[in-house]
Amino acid sequence: MNFFEVIENIITNYWSWILKGIGMTLLVSIVGTIVGLIIGLVIGVIRTISVDKSNKLAYVFKKFINFLIGVYVEIFRGTPMMVQAMVIFWGYAYLSGGNTLDVTLSALFIVSINTGAYMAEIVRGGIISIDKGQFEGAEAIGMNHFQTMLYVVIPQVMRNILPSVCNEFIINIKDTSVLNVIGFAELFYVTNTIVLKNYQTFITYLFTAVIYFVLTFGISRILLLIEKKLAGKKNYVVLGSGNMDAESIALENNREN
Amino acid sequence: MSNQDNYIQADNATNESPYIIKVEHVGKVFGTNTVLTDINFNVKSGEVICIIGSSGSGKSTLLRCVNKFETATSGAIYYHGEDINKIKNFPLFRTKVGMVFQSFNLFNNMDVLKNCTIGQTKVLHRKKEEAKANAIKYLDLVGMSAYVNARPNQLSGGQKQRVAIARALAMEPEVLLFDEPTSALDPEMVGEVLDIMRNLAKSGLTMLVVTHEMGFARDVASRVLFMDKGVIVEDDTPENIFTNPKEDRTKEFLKRVL
Ligand SMILES: Nc1ncnc2c1ncn2[C@@H]1O[C@H](COP(=O)(O)OP(=O)(O)O)[C@@H](O)[C@H]1O
Ligand SMILES: [Mg+2]
Repeated sequence: MNFFEVIENIITNYWSWILKGIGMTLLVSIVGTIVGLIIGLVIGVIRTISVDKSNKLAYVFKKFINFLIGVYVEIFRGTPMMVQAMVIFWGYAYLSGGNTLDVTLSALFIVSINTGAYMAEIVRGGIISIDKGQFEGAEAIGMNHFQTMLYVVIPQVMRNILPSVCNEFIINIKDTSVLNVIGFAELFYVTNTIVLKNYQTFITYLFTAVIYFVLTFGISRILLLIEKKLAGKKNYVVLGSGNMDAESIALENNREN
Repeated sequence: MSNQDNYIQADNATNESPYIIKVEHVGKVFGTNTVLTDINFNVKSGEVICIIGSSGSGKSTLLRCVNKFETATSGAIYYHGEDINKIKNFPLFRTKVGMVFQSFNLFNNMDVLKNCTIGQTKVLHRKKEEAKANAIKYLDLVGMSAYVNARPNQLSGGQKQRVAIARALAMEPEVLLFDEPTSALDPEMVGEVLDIMRNLAKSGLTMLVVTHEMGFARDVASRVLFMDKGVIVEDDTPENIFTNPKEDRTKEFLKRVL
């Protein structure tokens, strides 16, 4: 079989596998990125709680929580996701006396907590970049920490970190390929299975490489468009100088909507 | 909710203290740096108290102790006779003791109207329409009701500060703390903000104003506190402070700024 016959053979015989593999890869990347972002935001909210030193118990408890968060972030950023997947999947089997977790659920869990560790740091940077006056403005009208974060800080953090979050998503599309080690049937796993049937290692993986590239490149373009839309004039400091009269501001804002 | 409201109102009605704010022997230390020493003063309803003094003398820290942005390290501050460290409904206390900042601190992610309604709906649990009507009332008062849809970054400094004042007023505070509200403004915008503050004073709002605008202090204040190196050097009427200061330190300061 020549090159094109192999490709044709892959497409005609294994298209449904490949589509499922792509589906699984996207599923675990999207869910992992979103859940990871939520983990990162929750950690960001917890980390910024200020506890008065005069309240000893609360102060020690807060320090302890901060320590646990630090341990989580360092461990999951400091070890390969492939190893994390094996430890968690087989660790459960070991501790439960031979039961195994559902592979798809395990995959979603592993990618989520792994991404969460990275997101926690991204969110931390995002919160640091917000002017302290934004917090004080909210607290001065009686908002508690949770309200301050939810209504004032997090929306601004989200806009600032959006490019990094998109970047994590793209990374996840590629890096979730390691989940084949626990038997999760994402795109890499499927490719491997096809190779076991057609013995065309090079061509089959080249085909898969092209799929991965189309996915990451296409999605990063789409995300870039979304970012541009969200970061439009309405949200960003472009007019800056102020001193516009009410009508021209109204005009400007209506045009954007 | 209505219980919480009643709680403060009942407190006002039965309060034994004639003062809204009572500051007793307050000291503040940051690490090894003593910033405030034995501060004593009271704020009665309707008073406008201006705090003057050179930069670094502890004016902002004092103001920030009063709304508990900072916690005094010694002494006590009372709100209607209640120690602010032991206040039960703390968010409500914050709405009653409002603050206007040098740097405005408008919420960048919200338009002018939302800036003035978010606290009302989320902290005071007012209905959306009620909050909106109230916000527009106060935006009108500061001459900014035409700008409800503008974003903070589309406004000039003077406009931002006027919105910030409306945002604070919309919470219906009993006392409004101002920390150098005109210091970040271009000179031509100082007047529009001071005019609004003058009107607020005339309408009977209780105000505690840290300012470098000596003209404003002289014309509007019922009392002027002069601070230096963390102590209140002189606490007197504006006439006495500006025409007949008792302390040498006050005289020196006024010579420099007037
Ligand atoms: N959060 C803080 N930590 C440490 N030192 C502070 C802090 N805030 C203020 N200070 C110090 O307290 C002193 C008084 O500051 P401040 O109250 O801002 O004075 P003013 O408002 O009169 O200019 C200054 O020496 C300042 O460095
Ligand atoms: Mg100051």
